[in-house]
Amino acid sequence: MSAWATFWGSWPLFADSVFAGAIAGGTLGLLGTYIVLRRMVFLSAALSQTAGFGVTLSFLVGFISPSLGAIALTFAVVAGLMIDNTADAARRDSYLGLAFLIGSAGTLAVGTRIVQEMQDIQTLLFGTAVAVVPADLLELGIVCGAMVALHIWWRRGFTQIAVDRVDAKVRGLPVRVLELLLLGSIAVVISVVTRVLGALPAFAFSVLPAMAALRVARNVDVALVFAALLGVVSGVVGYYVAFAWDLPVGASQTLVAVAAFAAMAALGAVMKR
Amino acid sequence: MTTTLLQLDDLVVGYHGRPLLPPISLEVGPGEQWALIGPNGSGKTTLLRTLLGLLPAISGDVTLGSEANIGYVPQRASLSGETPGRVIDLVRGGIDQGWSFLDPLFVRRHAAEVTRAMQDGQVEDLAHQQYRTLSEGQKQRVLVARALAANPQLLVLDEPTAAMDLSAERGVFELLARLREDRGLAVLVVSHHLTVAARHATHAILVDKDRRFAASGPMEEIAAAEETTERYGRLLLDALSEANP
Repeated sequence: MSAWATFWGSWPLFADSVFAGAIAGGTLGLLGTYIVLRRMVFLSAALSQTAGFGVTLSFLVGFISPSLGAIALTFAVVAGLMIDNTADAARRDSYLGLAFLIGSAGTLAVGTRIVQEMQDIQTLLFGTAVAVVPADLLELGIVCGAMVALHIWWRRGFTQIAVDRVDAKVRGLPVRVLELLLLGSIAVVISVVTRVLGALPAFAFSVLPAMAALRVARNVDVALVFAALLGVVSGVVGYYVAFAWDLPVGASQTLVAVAAFAAMAALGAVMKR
Repeated sequence: MTTTLLQLDDLVVGYHGRPLLPPISLEVGPGEQWALIGPNGSGKTTLLRTLLGLLPAISGDVTLGSEANIGYVPQRASLSGETPGRVIDLVRGGIDQGWSFLDPLFVRRHAAEVTRAMQDGQVEDLAHQQYRTLSEGQKQRVLVARALAANPQLLVLDEPTAAMDLSAERGVFELLARLREDRGLAVLVVSHHLTVAARHATHAILVDKDRRFAASGPMEEIAAAEETTERYGRLLLDALSEANP
């Protein structure tokens, strides 16, 4: 029996996980376009690691929901970014580097104190996503649905601050409010995706589809749609590839997103000729 | 009676409470072309950022006329070369002001302003080209068109002719002259090329933080002022004579 036939035959078993990958990939693909446009790729890495740390701390404490723990810590990182109002990119990157390292080291260090949950920590870091439970899928769907709706409605504002922040400010756009909502929504989605699928796919979905889409899109609007589609494809195809070749799901989804980026980069180079 | 588009009253600019320049007072009226000039590191950018509301003033006031709004044309390098966007997309992006982005049909309702801005900026033929593939002169015209989309009364341009050849530079100033005439726009050009900006300006703000010096007024007065000739000799006077032989 072929891998595809086996996969399709067991579809009810995998459906929630595939849908979770599609929702996470699509939403982070969309939001990631702003991350890449604003040259803040390190933000995703820092937030996904910080979210992982928040989840492990929640496991350790025991009485806080893992999603809330992740959101609380990622919001703290976003608050730090918003308070430091300097436009110094080096200073911003140093801050995000610090958050990334605290998140990574914290997750591993706290993980050793909750041995019975070690499997969960592994899942968190690398994303197995083999069995996404219906409650997780529902949470992911609600959070991502709300954030996508917000981003469709406020799209022009978010695009203005991503393309030319100073000009947006001169024209009286509420730049601080837009930045707070943009970074806040990214933090919430990365937190929930990290909790459900793992830090690696959360980081990958938030940069690779956007990087790929920006290579070939004619404008930012097209890039937003295309990045979302590539995110969905990476989430779904990545899951199937993991099943067919017996790979960790998060790594497989990341590699599919890398392949999509390579293909779009090549296509973009051809289109420029 | 002349309408005042922008008024500075004893405006003191600087950082962290430390003034960079002496107080500046001036009034900008329709159709005037102002040059904000001074050598590199003279305080031009600080004054510009304060005028645009990006930096708080240490003291004094910046007042916009009741119906006036500012169109800002940044240095071309401020837009990432990686950002995809056709010329028409960039100009449409200039329509939104304040919270208008919450209205999904706002840009569609202002399509006529986009068309007019494209025409006035002389970029209609470039509408579907990618911004990042344009020449420096074309990029400058696109950024002017984007600023015009919001129908401003005062156009502020930051170093618009930097890295341009003479022909492109002349093209920019001809475009600005036409906009002043057709739209009654006031224009403020920030430049460290004293003579280039002076040749085209009706008024000037000359700043030099190292000498704690700031002067503003009609171009002829600024060029002939004792402090100016002490520092720059006949540089500005010669530029004026060249422009008005």
